Amino acid sequence: MKDYILSLRNLRRAFGGIVAVADVSLDIEANKIVAIIGPNGAGKTTLFNLITGYYLPTRGEIWFQNKLLNGVSAPKRVEMGIARTFQHILLFPHMTVLENVMTGRHSRSRAGFIEAALRLPRFHREEESITLEATRYLNLVGLGQYAGQEAISMPYGQQKLIAIARALASEPKLLLLDEPGAGLNTMEKRDLTDLLQRIKEMSITIVLVEHDMDMVMRVAEWVIVLDVGRKLAEGTGAQIQRDEKVIAAYLGEDDL
Amino acid sequence: MPKRLFRWQYALVALVFAGLVLLPFSGDAYYTAIFIIIAIHSMLVIGLCLLMGYTGQVSLGHAAFYGMGAFISAILTVTYNWSPWLAMPLAALSTGVIAYLIGLPLLRLRGNYLAMGTLGMGIIFFILFNELDQYTGGPSGLPGVPGLSVGGFSFDTDFRYYYLVWSVCAVMLLVSWNIIRSRTGRALRAIHGSEAASEAVGIDVPQFKIKVFVLSAIFASIAGSLYVHYLSYVSPNPFEFMFSIRLVVMAVIGGLANIWGAVFGTGAVTMMDQHLGTFGELDVILFGLILVLVMIFMPRGLVPGIVGLWEKWKNRRTKAKA
Amino acid sequence: MSSDQLAQYLFTGLTQGSLYALIALGFAITYTVTGIINFAQGEFVMLGGMLSYLVLDDLHLPIAVAFLIAVIAVSLVGILLERLAIRPAKDAPPVSLIIITIGAAIFIRGMVQQFISKDAVPIPPFTGNGTFSVLGAVVTYQSLWVIGIALVSVVGFYLLLSRTMIGKALRACSINKRAASLMGIDARNMSTLSFLISAALGAIGGIVIAPLAFTQATIGVALGLKGFVAAAIGGFVNLPLIVAGALGLGIVEQLGGATLSAYKDAIAIGALLLVLIIRARWLQTAAGSE
Repeated sequence: MKDYILSLRNLRRAFGGIVAVADVSLDIEANKIVAIIGPNGAGKTTLFNLITGYYLPTRGEIWFQNKLLNGVSAPKRVEMGIARTFQHILLFPHMTVLENVMTGRHSRSRAGFIEAALRLPRFHREEESITLEATRYLNLVGLGQYAGQEAISMPYGQQKLIAIARALASEPKLLLLDEPGAGLNTMEKRDLTDLLQRIKEMSITIVLVEHDMDMVMRVAEWVIVLDVGRKLAEGTGAQIQRDEKVIAAYLGEDDL
Repeated sequence: MPKRLFRWQYALVALVFAGLVLLPFSGDAYYTAIFIIIAIHSMLVIGLCLLMGYTGQVSLGHAAFYGMGAFISAILTVTYNWSPWLAMPLAALSTGVIAYLIGLPLLRLRGNYLAMGTLGMGIIFFILFNELDQYTGGPSGLPGVPGLSVGGFSFDTDFRYYYLVWSVCAVMLLVSWNIIRSRTGRALRAIHGSEAASEAVGIDVPQFKIKVFVLSAIFASIAGSLYVHYLSYVSPNPFEFMFSIRLVVMAVIGGLANIWGAVFGTGAVTMMDQHLGTFGELDVILFGLILVLVMIFMPRGLVPGIVGLWEKWKNRRTKAKA
Repeated sequence: MSSDQLAQYLFTGLTQGSLYALIALGFAITYTVTGIINFAQGEFVMLGGMLSYLVLDDLHLPIAVAFLIAVIAVSLVGILLERLAIRPAKDAPPVSLIIITIGAAIFIRGMVQQFISKDAVPIPPFTGNGTFSVLGAVVTYQSLWVIGIALVSVVGFYLLLSRTMIGKALRACSINKRAASLMGIDARNMSTLSFLISAALGAIGGIVIAPLAFTQATIGVALGLKGFVAAAIGGFVNLPLIVAGALGLGIVEQLGGATLSAYKDAIAIGALLLVLIIRARWLQTAAGSE
């Protein structure tokens, strides 16, 4: 029996008349890098939103490490070990780079209003630990020296890295990256693929939505193809490149 | 939130602090009394700043919580002869619980709906204060609210009450300041920045919104209790819709995400009120105008706006010199 | 409660509800076209009444002329509001826009109190004080004017939106502003137009109800709130539902007032907050959290 970290069973999500995700079933093996590709509107981001709990499914089940996620709140899922980044990055304004990554430690700390207001010992302990850990993750993506900068004033490519550091700071077992390569130049993309390898070596499963097929071929061990909300095909990069259905779906797109 | 304090800001803060500490010694009864009210109103605005500036939720009915604290304290001490020092915490606790129960459904509303919801809440409570007259004394209110004293020491002069309320205000500022510079504060700022991204790092957004709502209600309740023990009297009149709006104006002028600005905004609006109140409805007209202009040109509040302009002007001068 | 009383509440409720329908449609058109909730909507209603009082009292013109002048004047106020206060702040966060419209409402209220009157002002009924009896209820001529003019306005509004080019342009803007501008529709003009229409509708309501109700500078808040909730019942887009909600609100208010008269306002507001919240939850659970 393979060790599946994430399993979807007949997952469906409709918005009124529009079915964004239609009866998708798939399994993700632990500690692999898996890519989800598909033409625009295929339902990839919706899938992420369902996994993180931002959307509720219309039907179907989501299993994470053999535990049923249906009914589990989004913050709880982060605690269980699911983290994500966004297509539009969504770094927090009015906060420094380090503070953004520190928010990633939220699920791994407990001090609340009372501890903060009264400056109880737990608050001090945790603040120190939060700062240390956040710095560590920031260094991991190579941006340690920018800790005190205002996050949203950083260049686009570096903002994407900060977002990844923020996601990593919650110590996930499953990392969902939504178009991490979008808007990056070739050098930055190479750095990104190196980073992804390093993350995989930390025993973190990576699922990424990507449009850049070169990057997908280089880094993904398994590829799942979605089209109009359905799973069209899955396999290794080479396999899906030859798949007729996939080619037909992409006809007219320049990616393949 | 930019926490870079310039040298002149430290000096200004020191000056204001010294001024506040020394004011009653000037013997000016008029200003001492006004500043007592400013302290009490600041407590309300601090909570509002936390709510509006940090979680981005509008509250147009905050007078309701002010009134709750006021009436519960008054009723317990006048009708049931409780000690004010027991009544005040109980009032704060009750107000907190009521705020929690109201907040659970109310805070599910977003943006405009939430604004209207809080507006409606404020109006409902104002009506309740007026109509439950067997408890509240109705529109004529309840006289005979006792003053505050500890042991033999009585806070029966403005001089003494001034230091009492400003001490409480200072404690609230400290508590808020501590919360802002913490994991909780970061979570609040995150929520204000992006609720989706906040959820993605495990922040329970609805929980935080309710907690800040309850905290601001508790601050308001304490302010209400202090208010009635000062006046020795309570009536529903101060807790009406326009007062809730004035609180919002004070918060906006001070800078929504700036609790120190809360005190400044309260002071500025109160002083303006005092000096303009005689010119017919001029203060109302000016309120409206200021609200509109400040929000158009300085959406983060008057104080941050002016500081921003100052910085731009400075930059332009250094560029010209170079 | 006797059937006479019931009939009375129904008719009074319908009259009030007609007013709420006009206010609600005003909210609807500005919200759908600009995305802004205009907290000054209630003030348009108040202005309608107060300005017509001014014309009647100072200029001693006939009521029809006063009506026209007041509607035009308030429409101008609506345009000014959009141009001077809303347009400069187009990209501001919702909190800012809320405060801006509130500020404008306060400003308008203060101006009225300063330059027209702080007290309630009387406006005579259009065609006298006569009444007649319908199903045991006492119905005044004025309430017929209210219902009638409101009906005409609502129908006119509907025809404007569905049959005219302008109406189609407005609807296009409300669906997708960018696509509309690509089609050559100037979204900014449509914004202004929506405020004009909502001001006009509010003013009409304010004038027709004035002989029956208190007309005073302070009535805008409660009226705006009730109109808002009626609009919210219809989700701001469903015209029939909005009108139905408004009429329903008027009737429920009367019936609630029958039992607890002083709490009338509180009940109306409370009931409708409940509707808002239930609606928000229903939307959440039906479509999944969003």
